[in-house]
Amino acid sequence: MSDKLLLEVENLQKHFPIRRGFLQKTVGYVKAVDGVSFTLNRGETLGVVGESGCGKTTVGRSLLRLIEPTGGKVTLHTETGKFNLLELNQTELKRLRPRMQMVFQDPMSSLNSRMTVGDIIAEPLVVNNICKGKELNDKIASLLEAVGLRANDTRRYPHAFSGGQRQRIGIARALALRPDLIVADEPVSALDVSVQAQILNLLQDLKSQYQLSYIFVAHDLGVVEHISDRVAVMYLGRIVEIGETRRLFTYPKHPYTEALLSAVPVADPRVQHSRQRIRLQGDVPSPANPPAGCHFHPRCRYATEVCKREVPLLREVEPNVFAACHLANELKLQGVELLHTTPQEGK
Amino acid sequence: MSSSKEALVEIENLQISFPLEDKHVSVVNEVSFTIPRAHTVGLVGESGCGKSMTGLSLLQLITPPGQITQGKILFHATPGEMPVDIANLPPRGDAIRAIRGSEIAMIFQEPMSSLNPVYTIGNQISEMILQHNKISKKEAHNRSIEMLQKVGIPAPEIRVNDYPHQLSGGMRQRAMIAMALSCNPKLLIADEPTTALDVTVQAQIVDLLRSLQQELGMAILIISHDLGVIADLAEEVIVMYAGRVVEKGTAEEIFYTPKHPYTRGLLKSVPVLGDTSHNKLYSIPGTVPSPLAMPKGCSFRPRCSERFEKCMELPQLTTLSVAHDVRCWAREQEALPE
Repeated sequence: MSDKLLLEVENLQKHFPIRRGFLQKTVGYVKAVDGVSFTLNRGETLGVVGESGCGKTTVGRSLLRLIEPTGGKVTLHTETGKFNLLELNQTELKRLRPRMQMVFQDPMSSLNSRMTVGDIIAEPLVVNNICKGKELNDKIASLLEAVGLRANDTRRYPHAFSGGQRQRIGIARALALRPDLIVADEPVSALDVSVQAQILNLLQDLKSQYQLSYIFVAHDLGVVEHISDRVAVMYLGRIVEIGETRRLFTYPKHPYTEALLSAVPVADPRVQHSRQRIRLQGDVPSPANPPAGCHFHPRCRYATEVCKREVPLLREVEPNVFAACHLANELKLQGVELLHTTPQEGK
Repeated sequence: MSSSKEALVEIENLQISFPLEDKHVSVVNEVSFTIPRAHTVGLVGESGCGKSMTGLSLLQLITPPGQITQGKILFHATPGEMPVDIANLPPRGDAIRAIRGSEIAMIFQEPMSSLNPVYTIGNQISEMILQHNKISKKEAHNRSIEMLQKVGIPAPEIRVNDYPHQLSGGMRQRAMIAMALSCNPKLLIADEPTTALDVTVQAQIVDLLRSLQQELGMAILIISHDLGVIADLAEEVIVMYAGRVVEKGTAEEIFYTPKHPYTRGLLKSVPVLGDTSHNKLYSIPGTVPSPLAMPKGCSFRPRCSERFEKCMELPQLTTLSVAHDVRCWAREQEALPE
């Protein structure tokens, strides 16, 4: 993995106005993304996890300006220089778009059901005037083969494919422009377990084959741990912890990460029955009306007075481990035990 | 399965079919298993394997034109008495309506779409209680509050007047559970009860189901694709594939000594928490066959790494040990002598 910087995100914000009444006056804001900063190196996979409503999808989409962020800075480093994506006009943005592509969650609704698979994959190539004619057809065929489909599938329509195969089509479309960065938003959560494993393996193969970097947005911690080099944990629009995967899973520094890890059910009855459980009380508060101070304090079992008043900033608590918790240095939190044997062994 | 436990529901050779033009397409075939009293049975499999259909059939809730075309569902309401065969009851008759909700209750995946948005949750729970008990509305209302308290809804006497949209996803699922348990059912069928919920809320609901079972002593049939949830709750596990039971046994047997190639593959394809090796995941090649185009013989054959000539014939469930059955030709030698 090279340490060359690909993407720098600083203080990214997306506030959705809440409008009420006849004149649709703005009465408040949902701070879906509230000051998110991170970096991504070339060839790296950053996992973004969190529960529904934490803003993880909005982060992914704001980076590509699929929704316009309210503020912040997103710098993309290319061979020809650095660009702040949020300051570019439409023409400049269109020129850079081929570098960043997206794979969506629901492979049915993200593919146009009236277009053939060939047309779906051809579209980015045609729109960007990359190639046409025979060259285009060859390119489509090779892309289909790269994602494990057959070259002669081009004339079929999306409905003729299973969920896993449709997700492969979506990946082929994202790969068509040879991007540097792919933002994958819950790419496997609509799939069955056995198919999910196929797609995760495919994403890993493509990453080394095409020198890709991923931002992998998901709620399944097992999947994120498997695929990511680093992980960012989000809660109510903010990153509460970010660090190297193994470190974050074994020695979490934020109480929310600890609770999240403890809640994941493991497919192993003995482990599941003997684990110490940390149970969060209540639900995630509404992002329209988040608690004061640390957003997590009403559900946190370690919360003190200071947590109710002051917003903790994301700070480096250990080299390359960032956590937004006042008590990050004092607490000894429990992570996941590294498994040396898996339940399937010993048969 | 083990005979020491008293059976509550015995499903024998169940077949569920849908008529299609001139033929019948069966989506559930030769399914047999027993749900013992006060125990938890897990039904696991991928989408389209027939697990939800099997759950719905216990209440005669299969959407027409689908119907039970074969088999028995023997429900032992009172021990020692003659069981009722649910498979024989008309889906709109009084007999099944007396069982639905009061003896056997069900909770579903999406609590928003299974609650009526124009009635308060108290109203909906009371309706259920009044349907099955001869008590006054006031008593039913108090009973609803009591149930909401039991499932851990804060301030139940206020929440009872809330409409479903005023509750969060986790609270709605709790309200569903309160409704399902309001008539003290002997069996609770939970069809993917945690799939639509976030992990931390999912863990709360799983804990709640476990503690309510200890308190109320009902049996639970938990249907899920999530092996983690099954590992957490189920004592006995049934693995279904393409409409058939491919393996059943105790949770220990299924998770630690799985025998069917499909069960083994399924367990190996889940990314294990704590394994940061970044090794490739095991994956089962291919996809689940459509019920319209079932492969000949063993339905897992096209995806199986252990297939051989004999797999062109349909294997039967064979018993490997007291409670461990598997449907696979490759395990024939391991079978217990008859």
